[in-house]
Amino acid sequence: MSTHKKINTEAVKSVLYPVLFGVLIFLLWEFGVLNTILHTDTNILPPPSRIASIVAENSSKIADNLSATMTVILIGLAAGSVLGYLAAMFATRFPYFGSGALTVLSVFNAIPIVALAPVFNNWTKDVSSQADVRSTVAKILVVTVVCSASMSINAYRGLTELKPFSLDLMKSYAADNKTIFMKLRFRNSVPYIFTSLKVSVPTSVITALVSEYFAEYRAGIGRQIRDNISIAQYSSGWAYIVVACLIGIAMYIILMIFEGIFVKRTS
Amino acid sequence: MTKFKNIRHSKYFNTFLWIVILIIAWEIGATAVAATKRSPENILPHLSGIIKSIISTDTINGSQTALQMVLINAQATISRALIGFAIGTALGFILALLMSRFKTVEKVAFPYLMIIQMIPILGMAPLIFAITQDISKSRIIIAAILTFYPVATNTLAGFRSVEKEKHELMESYAANSFQTYVKTMIPASIPYFFTGLKISAPMAITASILVDTLQGGVGLGCLLSQALKGAMSRYVFWQIVFLSAFIGIFSFLLMGFIEYLICPYKRRGKNQD
Repeated sequence: MSTHKKINTEAVKSVLYPVLFGVLIFLLWEFGVLNTILHTDTNILPPPSRIASIVAENSSKIADNLSATMTVILIGLAAGSVLGYLAAMFATRFPYFGSGALTVLSVFNAIPIVALAPVFNNWTKDVSSQADVRSTVAKILVVTVVCSASMSINAYRGLTELKPFSLDLMKSYAADNKTIFMKLRFRNSVPYIFTSLKVSVPTSVITALVSEYFAEYRAGIGRQIRDNISIAQYSSGWAYIVVACLIGIAMYIILMIFEGIFVKRTS
Repeated sequence: MTKFKNIRHSKYFNTFLWIVILIIAWEIGATAVAATKRSPENILPHLSGIIKSIISTDTINGSQTALQMVLINAQATISRALIGFAIGTALGFILALLMSRFKTVEKVAFPYLMIIQMIPILGMAPLIFAITQDISKSRIIIAAILTFYPVATNTLAGFRSVEKEKHELMESYAANSFQTYVKTMIPASIPYFFTGLKISAPMAITASILVDTLQGGVGLGCLLSQALKGAMSRYVFWQIVFLSAFIGIFSFLLMGFIEYLICPYKRRGKNQD
């Protein structure tokens, strides 16, 4: 009985403490104490209530920009993950030739987004005569490159780091490559897919936001943050930052839910 | 012949082969672009053109060659990234220590460490610039935040990875908590700590370059946006792209090398394979 109670108080503490901390920060912010600490006025750092009212007032404009950004994130993330997985499958099938490809891909992972974004802008000039279409394509491509690197490395580990002797077992059944892939390798790679997505979901959000800075066509949450702040509309800038944070948090939570569903079943 | 076979089968040769393939693909693309476009250097210049611009001694703004200009700006960017990286590493490590030592700190900070991973810090760069009103400070702050959380979460995972038996052994020696940390916990966390550093080093560089683009002055990002607007030779842009790619990759490899230097067990592990 006593141990049961102890676990409960521990659980309550681990919820209560962070919540209290959050409330404390919120109150300090709302009542201007943070402004005093950071030596800023309420114009640059508006209280949360004001940011919330701005989000509510501009909801239709925010929704337009949100859909522009989400298009880039979702298509880029999907395309990058699929490409990365295909690269990993290629490397598994042809280990000698493929491992080098993965090394090169992992190196791409370290290239700063700020260098990739303008390059892709240049390369997509001929995709469409409309600036908004070609900008979107450029942004999607940047997100794709960034996501595929992380997926290929993790998926390759998932496809090759199998349980001891499982591959020998499959071979003794005279299973062909396709069967080995479906029955063994793919299942083994599922947790690794989620490991990679945990990295690439936040990265895809940030990549989409940053590549908007460089895009020819002005659209998206990231561009709005920058443009609003550069014309000293700090409150609107904050509103878009809050939306950006919500995108990141929402996508991560969705990912965790999917992981809960899929990883339990396969393992 | 056997010697050739050995080279052919080494890991490095394979990577080298792919780099050659990439270079060939780039050159084919550049040739195609050169044949169809009026100003090919804007889209895809020949690599030889980029190399030529690096070794060229012509001054592009009266006093500096393209390379000098890029390097001077790179120095400003990298030095700020380094300061931010160092501060972030120190803070991240200290927080991980506090979190492993005091349950309350862990309970308060851990959820926020998770949330900070999900939110796009780089997107807040313009805002931090607005608050600090100083480009160098904002570079340092953003690089520090981006370094801070991978280091903190990975180091904490390292502290947690210490087996129960080791704790019991230290207890049986009547070791105090300082000794426990110095003898078992910190050494165990080092590989995890370096995983964090490898993640955050390229991020600190990216952050620093991005913050540059927010304002004129010195810095790679600033030079990048000027070159994009056509204020100077397009080759300056390409030099920056390659240099920042190189710095990003190099910072990652450097962390691996430092880990190799200070972790003898890692070397021993490799020999056993």
